[in-house]
This record gives sequence, structure tokens and C-alpha cells, in this order.
Amino acid sequence: MRNSAVILLTVLFLVPSVEARAQPSFEQRRQRLIEVVAGERDRSFFTVTAKLVTGKDKEFAIQMLDSLTTDQSIGGMFYSYAAIGSYLRLRDQLPDSLKAKMRNSFRERTMYRGDTENHWVMYYTGLYLAAQTWPNEGRSQWYNGKSSDENFREAEEWLNLWFKTSSTIGQGEFDSPTYFITFITPVLTLYEFASDPVMKRRAQMMADLLFADFAVEHLNGNYCGGHSRDYPEDIMNPLSAPAALWAWLYFGEPQFELWQETRYRPRHRGGWETVFGAMSSYRLPEIIYSIATDRSTPYVHTETKRVRNIIRFGLEKNPPVYKYTYMTRHYALGSLQGGILQPIQQHTWDVTFASDKPYNTIFTLHPFYSGKELAMFFPEEQKFLSDEVDRYHKIYTNPNKWNSSSPFEQTFQHKNTILVLYNIDKGITHPHIDGFFPKNLDERSIDPSGWIFCRMGATYVAFYSLRPYEWIEEEINWRWRSFELMNCIVVEVGSSDEEGPFEQFKRNLQARSPALTGGGRNPTIEYTTRSGDHMKFTFNGPRLLNGKPVNFAEYKFFNGPYLHSERKSGVVTMTYKNHVRELDFDKATIKEWQKLQ
Amino acid sequence: MAKTAVRASRIVAISVAVVSSLSLYAQRLEDGRRNYYAAVFLNRGHVSGGASSNIGLFKRMSSDTIWHNIYRPNLFTFGIGFWERGATRRYYIAGGNGLHRSTDEGRTWRVLTTWKTEEILSVALDPVDSSILYVATPFGVFKSTDDGSHWVRKMKGMKRWYVQRLVVDRTDRRKLYAAAEDDLYQTTDGGEHWRQLGVGVPGILSALQHPQQTAVLLVGTEDHGVRVTTDGGRTWSGGQNLPQTSFYALRSSSDGQALYAGGYRTGLWKSENLGRTWSLVSPAPNVEAIYSIFVHPDDPKHLLIGTCGQGVYESFDGGGSWKNIGLQGAHVKQIELYP
Repeated sequence: MRNSAVILLTVLFLVPSVEARAQPSFEQRRQRLIEVVAGERDRSFFTVTAKLVTGKDKEFAIQMLDSLTTDQSIGGMFYSYAAIGSYLRLRDQLPDSLKAKMRNSFRERTMYRGDTENHWVMYYTGLYLAAQTWPNEGRSQWYNGKSSDENFREAEEWLNLWFKTSSTIGQGEFDSPTYFITFITPVLTLYEFASDPVMKRRAQMMADLLFADFAVEHLNGNYCGGHSRDYPEDIMNPLSAPAALWAWLYFGEPQFELWQETRYRPRHRGGWETVFGAMSSYRLPEIIYSIATDRSTPYVHTETKRVRNIIRFGLEKNPPVYKYTYMTRHYALGSLQGGILQPIQQHTWDVTFASDKPYNTIFTLHPFYSGKELAMFFPEEQKFLSDEVDRYHKIYTNPNKWNSSSPFEQTFQHKNTILVLYNIDKGITHPHIDGFFPKNLDERSIDPSGWIFCRMGATYVAFYSLRPYEWIEEEINWRWRSFELMNCIVVEVGSSDEEGPFEQFKRNLQARSPALTGGGRNPTIEYTTRSGDHMKFTFNGPRLLNGKPVNFAEYKFFNGPYLHSERKSGVVTMTYKNHVRELDFDKATIKEWQKLQ
Repeated sequence: MAKTAVRASRIVAISVAVVSSLSLYAQRLEDGRRNYYAAVFLNRGHVSGGASSNIGLFKRMSSDTIWHNIYRPNLFTFGIGFWERGATRRYYIAGGNGLHRSTDEGRTWRVLTTWKTEEILSVALDPVDSSILYVATPFGVFKSTDDGSHWVRKMKGMKRWYVQRLVVDRTDRRKLYAAAEDDLYQTTDGGEHWRQLGVGVPGILSALQHPQQTAVLLVGTEDHGVRVTTDGGRTWSGGQNLPQTSFYALRSSSDGQALYAGGYRTGLWKSENLGRTWSLVSPAPNVEAIYSIFVHPDDPKHLLIGTCGQGVYESFDGGGSWKNIGLQGAHVKQIELYP
């Protein structure tokens, strides 16, 4: 017995780090990605760069790059940072004539700045690096009539402001499995090519922050919980989101190559931004890797973000967003507090299963739309905004959409339990609530107690609707739908780790029945969780946990076992075991140390 | 006596016809030196960040039938402005990338603003001093007194920050009106202080000062039709007969005899009594919305309307008949006649 204990201890110490265990290693993954992208044929700065870096299809790549510089039908912020990123990576091997054309792009093409946070990050990254690359040039040499110096200073000023805002009150387009790429790719490009060591350091810190922010809500390649914005396909099928490829590259999860997957490939066949990461000299700090992948102990993580810029119908430009995530090795349950925090693409809450299967999630929403909601954020006429948004997002006004913010939805989460209250005004165009239940759940049953029990792998979900509902069968999912204007959903999530067998989980819940009281504008739900916590939640009213109000104002910028930051401090501290990494955005310093045991 | 009267009236009629023809001839000559400028904000299907679209500042010579984009494609354009004194001419684009200015007839442009002002929804120019500029933005009014080199936010007295339009008073260049989210505001000190004029409804989308009777102001509102004051903003009333919907466009003939209004599914409306009562111009083009109206300064029967996604329509007979003259698909926010 004693011998086996010694052997076990020895094995524990000999086991290499989690990173080394994951196969293949980061270096192998990044090489693999560059090779794969170099073999692609779609026209983009990413594929061109990969081809020329590897020497594959050089002539074709040069032609493609040439066409990218002459095609006036493309332009704007997506073009700007990618073009200069390619140029700076490849300039030693480009013919002078092509280099001149690329320079000319910044003279003759309108690099449109756009109207979102991600647009501006891409735009000002492109402008900063272009002005740095071609300094001391006069106003006539730039598309916007400003000199190199003017452009450089403006871009530097805004980028520094964005770093400060993002590290003190959070991003507006936070935790987006799709838009993550539009932040991390320009930031890594900036890190790679900024000559100013302070800007380079800040870009490195911002990359750390973006990855750490992802890492605490990461599970097996999935970006879990509430998102500021995302597309329905990626919400229903989380590993189809572009962020999953970054998780594969940097976190080593999921452990399969996403581009081989039909769930990923059709949607993102041209989205090879990640190859800029693979070519970057940025290396993910080990501590972030550990935070992203160690799921040995369940934890609660909370965050504060900000609402995207409100231009009208509000009294505050960026009200806070409160996020709550409960993470285990089998599942994550995460939420935003509800209401309109983002137009069009908000994803307020979900359960995500750690599974290699597609459609590994359950969530509900109210499919709200309104021109006024859009006019809060866009300076266009509200009568037309819905139609205009529909032209691109296709489903904004669709009653069956799977992404939406709604003023009639609010949440209250405590660990692995969430209450979702709906209180929909009469006369609203889509007066129903929808829930997404994938068909590939291992089990889904409606219990006589009223609970809907679901299982995917080792994860169990119990779902209770206080008011009537119906099921609609669709291709990949069951659509749970309730036409009750006032309703509440109670969701309890567990796993074999916490509950033992699924039957035991069911038994623990069958006797529990939530109660909905009150009416009008203030319905109240009361519920005692299976772990004995009493939750009382009033729409537009307090959230009481065991009789004590939950005060969102006390939320930190980050608060959890791995990530901590006081709001507006600009200091973000990562902790993993005795390892600490501190980012001080004000001083532009990174410190690392080991805590004494 | 009667014959004399008839003869006299014929002479008058002939004289009127001759004058009218001469006027038209003179107008065409004059127009040969002037061009229509249209601010195209959006094209149907265009996505910010997507492929470039044919949006921006468009120019159409009066003798031409084609609109030419005189900037580059891909610039959301909310409004335009023009300043002229002697040989000095300045053109302005209020756009998504900022306030653009050209001093060489549109050949080159310089963005005068920075990240601090975000989108520019409209520009207002001091009629005397070209170095004084005002812009309306989603985050308030900004002013420059050094030709756009520096900008200062001017919001003292304003309760909300969204400002869609600015109008400089015709009699006092330090007096401006701001069409804001919650009201029409007025400043009498060049933007240093603003006071609410108490229109009575929120959502002021457009504003117009009568060219002669400057105490007459009109505002187009979100969902509450057009409201009018004849006493400089002390009292307001709703324009009669108008639908209670959103009015984006207001325009006056140069003599102020005719006022026009248009908006969301409204058709084109006309008032000949300072905005008190309105009648529908019929027939009007079957368009979803009117974003902008233009009345030719030399011929009040010559009208243009810019629509939301259905191009520009032109009438030479005061709205009796209309012809689509291009920019199909475009959201045309403003139409002007500039050199």
C-alpha cells in the first residue's frame, strides 16, 4: 500500500504539464494551421500571407495580393489592418511594384471606419501601422487628407483609450465567439509590428486580457455563457464559432481540427484570421493556458462589462453589464442580467455541455425586435432600421430567431441554477418565448412533476416552465415555445460528478416546484434550489438569495478564483495555484511571481 | 372698358410668359454653372464593413442625367455643406469617417475631425467666418473656431446628447437651432449655452427657419408630424392635416411662399400659410419615405425629392408630374444646388 502511494506520487510529479500532455503541442498546431491555410485558395490577406510565408503557390499568391490591392469593391476596416499586416510580414519578398500598390491602397481607397467597437479596433490598428510604416508623408499621401503624423497620433490616442476602457469597465462587444477574432487578430498584428515598445507592450497586455477573458469562460473549445453578440448558427452550435479555432490553437481544445468539421467549415471557410496568430511571435502565458484548461474544480466567475454605446433613448452612454458563470468540467451555466444590452445579436444565457457533439447547448429567449431598440445604437431612422438590419442579418425580425435582446427578459443565476423571468408587454409583435433543445441530447423526457429532464453525456439539465408551453419539432432541435406573456423558467444543471446517476438528479428535483406570484409589472418567482439556497426574484425588482439582496453594484470587473480586478482599477490579476500574473494597464507593466505556499 | 381690360390682361399674360421663358432660359444658363449634389447615406443591402458600396457624395450637372460619385465609394454620408465668399469655396461632407472638407471643387478632401466626434450627422457653417464650424453628432454638438483643427463639445443646457440637425439663424450667426432627441434647442451665443424651446414632443428630426419671417420655425418630428412656431419658439402648434408620423424633410421655396414636408409614408405635403395648414401634393411618387426635399431657388415649381432607397424624383411643375432621375436604391439624405 505504501509502495503504491509512493508510485502514485512519483507519477504525479512526473506527469508533464497539461500543455505538454495535449497533443499536438502549440508549436505543432501553429505550424499545422499555417500549412493548412497556405493550401487554401480563397482570396484573402490571410491565405496570401500563409502561402508566401511557406513558399507555397508563390506566383498565385502574388497575383492574389495584386488583385486585392486593385479591387476597389473591397475596403474599410477589415481590409485596412489585414492589408498592413500582410505587407509588414511579407515586404521583404514582394516586388517593388506590388509594394507601391499596397502603399497606394492607403492613398486612394476609403478605409471606412465603421460604427462598432470591433470596426474601430481594426481601423485604428491599420491606420497606426500604416502611418508608422510610411512616416513623414504629407496630407496628400493619405486617403483622409491627414499627414502620417496626424494619422499616427490619432490612431495611437484611440487605441490607448480602447485599452484603458477595456481594462477598466470592459468591452462593449464582450465575450463574442464570433467577434473575438475581430479584436484578437488586430491586437496581435499590433503586437507583432508596433515599433514603439510601449504600444507593443500594451498590445501584448490586451492580447493577454482578451485570452484571459475567454479562458475563464472556456470549456473544451466552447466560449460559454452570455455573449454580447453572436450569430444564431454559432449560438446553437458553439464549436462552429470562429473563437473555437483560436481555442484550438492556443488552448489545445477541442482536440480535433475544426476545419475538418462540417459544422465549422461551411460557415467560416474564408475566415483564416487565426493564421495571423499562428505566425505571431506572441506566446500565450502558461497561466492563461492553465486557466483555460484546468476544470478540476467547479467555480463561480463574475464580470462587469459595458453596454455598447447608447446614442439615444438612454441617460447613460455605457451602463454596466453583469455576467455570471458557473463552470465545471462537464458543463458551464452562464448569463447576463437580461434586458437590452446589445442590439440584434445578444445571447443572454445558456448551458453549454462539454461534448464533441454538435448543438451542445440549451437556452431560451424572447425574439424581440424594434426600430427603437436599433435606434438606441445606430444613428439612422428607426422606421427603417429593422428592414436594413434584416437585409444583412436576415433574421432580425424573424419570430424563430435564436439571438435577441429583449426588455422583457431578466435572469437571476446562483451557481448552477438560473431563473429566467419573462414579462412581455401586450401588443408586442412576437409574443412568445422560445427554448432551444438539441435533438441529439442523449435523453429528453417530460416528467409528471412538470420538470423537463435532459442529459448529454455526464451533464444533466432540469428545466421547469411555470406556465404552459408546447413543442415544435425542427430539423436539429426541439423548439420549446410558450405563448404566455408572463412566464418563468427555472433551470438546474448538474452532472455525474455532483449528483451520481441521472435518476438521482431527477429524484432530487421532482419534489421541488417553483412558485410564481404577483402579476402586472412585477411577477415574482420563489424557488429553493436542490442545494438548499432560496432564490426570490421580482421582475424589475430585487434578486434575493437566502433573503439577502444581490447587489450588482458590488460586482468586480473580474471576480473568481482565476481572474480578479476591481472595476476601473486597470489592474487585472491572474492567479493559478501559486502562480500570479498582473497586468497594470495604467503603468503598462506585466508582473509575474510565485506566491509562497 | 371691358375690351381694354381683356387686352391688358393678355399683355400681362404674354409678359408673364416671356418673363417665365426668359427666367427658365436664365435658370438653365445659370444651372450650367451649378450642379446638384446629393448626400447618399446608404444603399439598400450595404453593410458597414462589407464590400464597398456606391455611397457618398454624388454630383449631377444640371445638363446631365447621371449622378457621379465625386468622392470615393464607401463613405456613409449624412449631410453636405457649402461655403462661398469671393473666389473661396468650401464643400463639406458630414460622414461616417468625420467631417470632410474640400477646397478644390471636390478633387481632394481632408477629414477635419478625429475619433472624438464619431459620426457627423450634419454640418452648420458660419455664413461670415469660414473658420467657424458646427457639427451635430450622436454625442452632441461640437464647434471649431479654427477651421476644423480643434473641436470643443458644446452641450451646456442640453439634457440629451443625440443631435441630428443644426440650423444657423438667418439673421444672427451666433444663434443656432439644434434638432435633438428630446426637443429643439436654441443658442444665442454660438453654442456656449443652449435652451429648450419646448416643442412639446420628443424626437426632433429636422428643422427649418422661414427665409423671410424668421420667427417662423418648423420641426419635423418622430411620430408627431410637423410642429410650427410663429413667435420664435415661444408657442408651438401642430401643422394641420398632416399625418402624425415621422417627418424627416422640410424645405422652403426661396421666397417662403411654399413650404414642403415629407417623411415616412407621408407623400409630399405643401403649406402656403407658414406651416399652419398643409395639403398633399398630388400625385406624388409612390415612395416609402422622403428623406430630403429640394426647391429650386429660381423656380419654385422645380422640385426634387430624395427617398429612402428609391432614388431621386424630379418635378418641373410643382409636383404635378414626377420622373425618377437616378440613384436607385440610395438613401438620399440631402440635395443641394452648388457651383
